[in-house]
Amino acid sequence: MNWKIWSLKKSPWVFHVNTGACNNCDIEIVNLLTPKFDVERFGIKLVGSPRHADALLVTGVVTRQAAPRLLEVYRQTPKPCVVFAVGACACETGIFHNGYHVAGPVDKVIRQIDPNAIIAYVPGCPPKPEAMISGVVKALSVL
Amino acid sequence: MPVRTLEVFSRGFAVGEGKRAIMTDTMQRMFWIVVFPGFAFTLFLGLLAGWVVRKVSALVQWRVGPPLCQPFMDVLKLMGKETLIPADAHRTMFILAPVVGFSGILVLAAMLWQACLNPQVPFVGDVIVAMYIMVLPSLALIIGSSASASPHAAFGASREMKLILGYELPLVLALIVVITKSGGQLSLAALAGQTPVLSVSGLIGFLVSLLCVQAKLGFVPFDIAEAETEVSSGVLIEYSGTLLAIWKIMQALMLVALPLFLVVVFMGGLGTSGWPLVWGICKLVLVLVLVILIKNTNPRLRIDQAVRFFWVYCGIAAAAAVILAAIGRGYGIGWL
Amino acid sequence: MSDFLRLKERRIMNHQQLIAELAGIKDRLTGIDETSNNRLYLNCKAEDSFAVNKFIFEHVGARFLIATGIDAEDCFEVLYHFSYDQTGCVITVKARIDDRQKPSIESISTFLPAAEWIEREIHDLFGIEIINHPDMRRLILSDDWPEGVHPLRKRVPAEAAQEKEK
Repeated sequence: MNWKIWSLKKSPWVFHVNTGACNNCDIEIVNLLTPKFDVERFGIKLVGSPRHADALLVTGVVTRQAAPRLLEVYRQTPKPCVVFAVGACACETGIFHNGYHVAGPVDKVIRQIDPNAIIAYVPGCPPKPEAMISGVVKALSVL
Repeated sequence: MPVRTLEVFSRGFAVGEGKRAIMTDTMQRMFWIVVFPGFAFTLFLGLLAGWVVRKVSALVQWRVGPPLCQPFMDVLKLMGKETLIPADAHRTMFILAPVVGFSGILVLAAMLWQACLNPQVPFVGDVIVAMYIMVLPSLALIIGSSASASPHAAFGASREMKLILGYELPLVLALIVVITKSGGQLSLAALAGQTPVLSVSGLIGFLVSLLCVQAKLGFVPFDIAEAETEVSSGVLIEYSGTLLAIWKIMQALMLVALPLFLVVVFMGGLGTSGWPLVWGICKLVLVLVLVILIKNTNPRLRIDQAVRFFWVYCGIAAAAAVILAAIGRGYGIGWL
Repeated sequence: MSDFLRLKERRIMNHQQLIAELAGIKDRLTGIDETSNNRLYLNCKAEDSFAVNKFIFEHVGARFLIATGIDAEDCFEVLYHFSYDQTGCVITVKARIDDRQKPSIESISTFLPAAEWIEREIHDLFGIEIINHPDMRRLILSDDWPEGVHPLRKRVPAEAAQEKEK
């Protein structure tokens, strides 16, 4: 494992993208970043721009309107990066399966431009912050 | 013992004194600039200081905080990411801006270390040169964000410009206090010989310039330009990869150079060896602790509140300090 | 008729008085349902919905909540929900549109600007034409959604959008 991946594991900066979520997962992500769960011990920091990010926390089933925007955000994230599909809707469209406005779950949309994207799934509706931490740590340990 | 080693190094690197020249003159200077106490040493100290800031903030918030290697890992990781430059950005300025800022703060740090550890060298740079060079990092931030071709960056740039307009005035006034007390001497080595902070006007000047340094470092309550939640990291929004790493390195160097500047100008500098050196390091740590304290106990200000604060409150206080210093100097009252 | 088109001063009424007040437009309603003690349904035809809504909003003084579109198999329905805050009663005006080929209803945003967006949404999702709407642009469907496909109609399958594009 080269030094780039090793340092990425030690200091993953996250950027939060909402592609049409009901906001439940977003509330849980914001809860995650409060001092109570202290994700700074893992080096995780919330950044304000996708260009500073190493991990994208994507919530929501990707709507048709949001799909090109999610792809643009993904393109602007410098590689190597990890995409976390947070919540049942992001992992596999959840209750919006076959909906008229759905462009696909997150992995289907992202693999249109990058078939080798690293995508991690954190299911739940919404997933608890502890589940998200566990997902992030597990994903980083298999990088 | 480390303090004895410091003395040996500083004597060995003095220009023209080659009693037992370990290396040639150029190599000595290169070592001085690049390794100790130039770039590598200041960077190490700066990242360490950055860790201290984050750890203390975490402890104040009853949480654990990052491990010691965290800031080093951050910079290393940024070096390993790809550097994306927006298509509309002005490429040359975009790339040059962090380099200019970084070199500016590096020159300032080298000057200050030279003045502290090697005061007998003839021209080390005086306080006016230091003031000019101190503007370079902030200027580079403005140029870099203006070259970014992003409305958020434009917001950040305009706020940073207003902030600079705000704090430069009280900072210059506070430095005038120091120059007045020294009787008109400008060189850093001479200013390091006196301790203005023990007098009334010097104390006011120190507090005013502490707040100006807080704004220059971009810490709360004055981190208006790089507010994460408000303007999506305003000035640095389009930077990534190695260029962002250079910005972070510049911020780390600033975290050492600016408190060192305050110590040299207001608190009597670092000693060169023995107990004065230990006391000097304590003074540096004290300034850092004050910066962290202010950072952790205040919310972020709006830009108009910040400019009003600097011009009205700090400006009037610094002007009063200048008058007191002039009176003290004129009538020979030492404590004024 | 001119009685209820004027804006009357809003007096506080209890539930009995509210029901009595509805006598003012009784001739335009096809039926009144009281499904519970704080839920009223006023059924009317699409042509009368403008007048009934104006009465409820201006004469009775109820607060507009939201509107709903329904694709019943033999007709379209647009429901306008009002809340009479003094008693906590929710009054729903149920307008029935019988023409399934070219459904249309008059916009109430001429006197109720708050209804502009929900009428745009009903138009997007059902294809009901809203007459006299000040700003009929696409609201909720994505920019690349084909024209003429209204997804909340019962007979439109989920893949209809892709088929129309082909």
